[in-house]
Amino acid sequence: MTENITRHVDIRRILYALAIIAIVLGIFGFASRLIVGERDVNYGSYVNWGLWVAMYLFFAGLAAGSFMVASLDYLFKVDLFKGTGRYALWATIVTLPAALVLIGLDLGHWDRIWKVYLQPNVSSLLAQLVWSYTIFWVVAMIALVLAIRKSDLWLRVVMVIGLVLSLFVSGGVGALLGVNAGQTSFHTAMLPAQFPLLNLASGVAIMTVIVGFFSVVEPERRTRLLRVLGLSLVVLLTVKAYFLWVDYSQVLYSSVPDAVAVADTILFGQYSWAFWGLQVLLGLIVPWVLFIWPGTAQRPILAGVAGILVLVGLAVGRTAIIFPQLSVPDLEGLAEAFTHVRLTFEYTPSLVEWSVLIGVLGLSALAYLIGVDRLPLFKSRSEAAA
Amino acid sequence: MTDARSEQSPEAAGQPSQGVRLPDVSRRGFLKGVVGAGAAAAIGSYEVFGVGAEAVAAQDAGSEAPGPASGPTEALSSGDGQVDTLERMRIELLAALQKPAADRRWVMVLDLRRCVGCHACTISCIAENNLPPGVVYRPVIEEEFGTYPNVGRRFTPRPCMQCDKPPCVPVCPTSATYTNDEGVVVVDYDDCIGCRACLTACPYGARTADFGLTYNESNPGTDDRVVGRQTAGQYEMLPMFEYGEPRSREDGESPIGNARKCHFCLHRVKEGELPACVTSCIGRATLFGDANDPSSLVAEMIALPNVFRLKEELGTEPRVFYLS
Repeated sequence: MTENITRHVDIRRILYALAIIAIVLGIFGFASRLIVGERDVNYGSYVNWGLWVAMYLFFAGLAAGSFMVASLDYLFKVDLFKGTGRYALWATIVTLPAALVLIGLDLGHWDRIWKVYLQPNVSSLLAQLVWSYTIFWVVAMIALVLAIRKSDLWLRVVMVIGLVLSLFVSGGVGALLGVNAGQTSFHTAMLPAQFPLLNLASGVAIMTVIVGFFSVVEPERRTRLLRVLGLSLVVLLTVKAYFLWVDYSQVLYSSVPDAVAVADTILFGQYSWAFWGLQVLLGLIVPWVLFIWPGTAQRPILAGVAGILVLVGLAVGRTAIIFPQLSVPDLEGLAEAFTHVRLTFEYTPSLVEWSVLIGVLGLSALAYLIGVDRLPLFKSRSEAAA
Repeated sequence: MTDARSEQSPEAAGQPSQGVRLPDVSRRGFLKGVVGAGAAAAIGSYEVFGVGAEAVAAQDAGSEAPGPASGPTEALSSGDGQVDTLERMRIELLAALQKPAADRRWVMVLDLRRCVGCHACTISCIAENNLPPGVVYRPVIEEEFGTYPNVGRRFTPRPCMQCDKPPCVPVCPTSATYTNDEGVVVVDYDDCIGCRACLTACPYGARTADFGLTYNESNPGTDDRVVGRQTAGQYEMLPMFEYGEPRSREDGESPIGNARKCHFCLHRVKEGELPACVTSCIGRATLFGDANDPSSLVAEMIALPNVFRLKEELGTEPRVFYLS
């Protein structure tokens, strides 16, 4: 047990160090964005949404998925998950602002975000999502306070509201893309249907990372918990693989040129290395194999690493939704009609975009670690980690 | 620049016959235009693409209320009574302005057989609206097709389609983009938060984002030289007048950070002037006017059988029509 505690202390120190390094690396990006605006980003008018929007989808999904996992403890009272709800809830609270910071920096006028609250276009899914995310975050905060005060009844009520919202925002993001009839791969009812499940996979994966890296439950229960989380991920990854299959096979069989062009870009084009290497191999096959193997649950660090791989796969999956579709010209010849670096259908994130993402990741991780170390909600952690 | 249509019947060319007041392009007219090149070239070859003065006069007379104080309502015509297409459209524009805004239906017609791919419309639009690098309202798409020796080129100007059912409008979270009374899709630069959801929603790629770039920012400075950053840079910092409001890039405010798009030069139209792309078109391939006026040139053009719209299958009902 002593060895276990020492290992966890070491991991925590390493994570603190990594988070601080990430924040330092992010300073350059934040400074650039705040001083010179969007001059040093690589998205433009045709690939008009880039890395930040894709990662907004990812972090928002992580927040929603974490809340779903928190409900296993706080709402459904699943014994195996007892004591894990606070970790999942705290993950929601720190990852949702990360998503909103990324999407905020992506706005040309983030200083006008208040207009979405005071003069919203209620038919706009984007406006609905801004409102929903705000309410969702407030609900998560209230749930946190109620959890600290151990107000069980009210906590369950709030968790019901939050769970509904987590499903709404998950599907809503899919619909935000899906309503664009001009974008063939976005315009499918599959996205709003897929996103809640993919977000649940994010939540289960981050929980696996947390349980794997930290002593959040007793050692014996931890192995069982990791086994259950791992098998859940096996199921969810299988579903994800099925989604990928139907997405691309349907398009390729249809032979509709615009749709095929998007699938070609993902499967065989400029982003194919990310699809096959990161999303399929590292993010799907490797963790699938690791979680199928019973020994992984007895090796918490390995389970945690496998959880990270799942998250990487899901994050890359979000980029595969955004960039490739926007990389296909709306009209043939548009790319050459008027040339400029912002009027191209090719996109690779700039240094500033990567820097901001790394910084946001660092801030989010640091907030999580500080919360776990300082919040009264986690004071009984050492007892649980016996 | 022999127009193939002059060698065939108007019907065969997909154009209305003489009685329907279409620009009458004949060899005689063309030659007369060349002879009178001194004056005609300066003002756009009235003869070459002239229309009947009587029709224009009738159009003018039909308008009971006078035109805006800024523009004459008499058609400029040449000696033989031919009136330039531009003049006809201008007169029709002035007449349309007398009607309530909701009764007007601005449309643009692009005759692809007249477009020579000079890109003058693109450039005049940039100059008119003082567009920064990376922002373009009206690119001209060039295509080559066919197999040698039967090959062809086609030039397709692509302004904003000003859809009657615009997909870009409902997605805007702050209602910053909307269809105005005249049916033109506009952007309120002060309400736009720059989310670029409208760029994604537009199936024509007709919106661009202003990322705050300037042409001269990385140029070396040379005082009192037109090429230097200090002097040349002043030009792009001059205010532009989109939507009738002067806005300078100097202060870093909107439209920097906003979605931007073609607005049919509403600020010009309001003053009785045709959009910049229309007046600069050397082939008179770009026509503009009020389709609610059944005798207008554009109303005639959009009734032709060879008219089509881009991506019509989407049901967006564009107000930009093409003649093939």
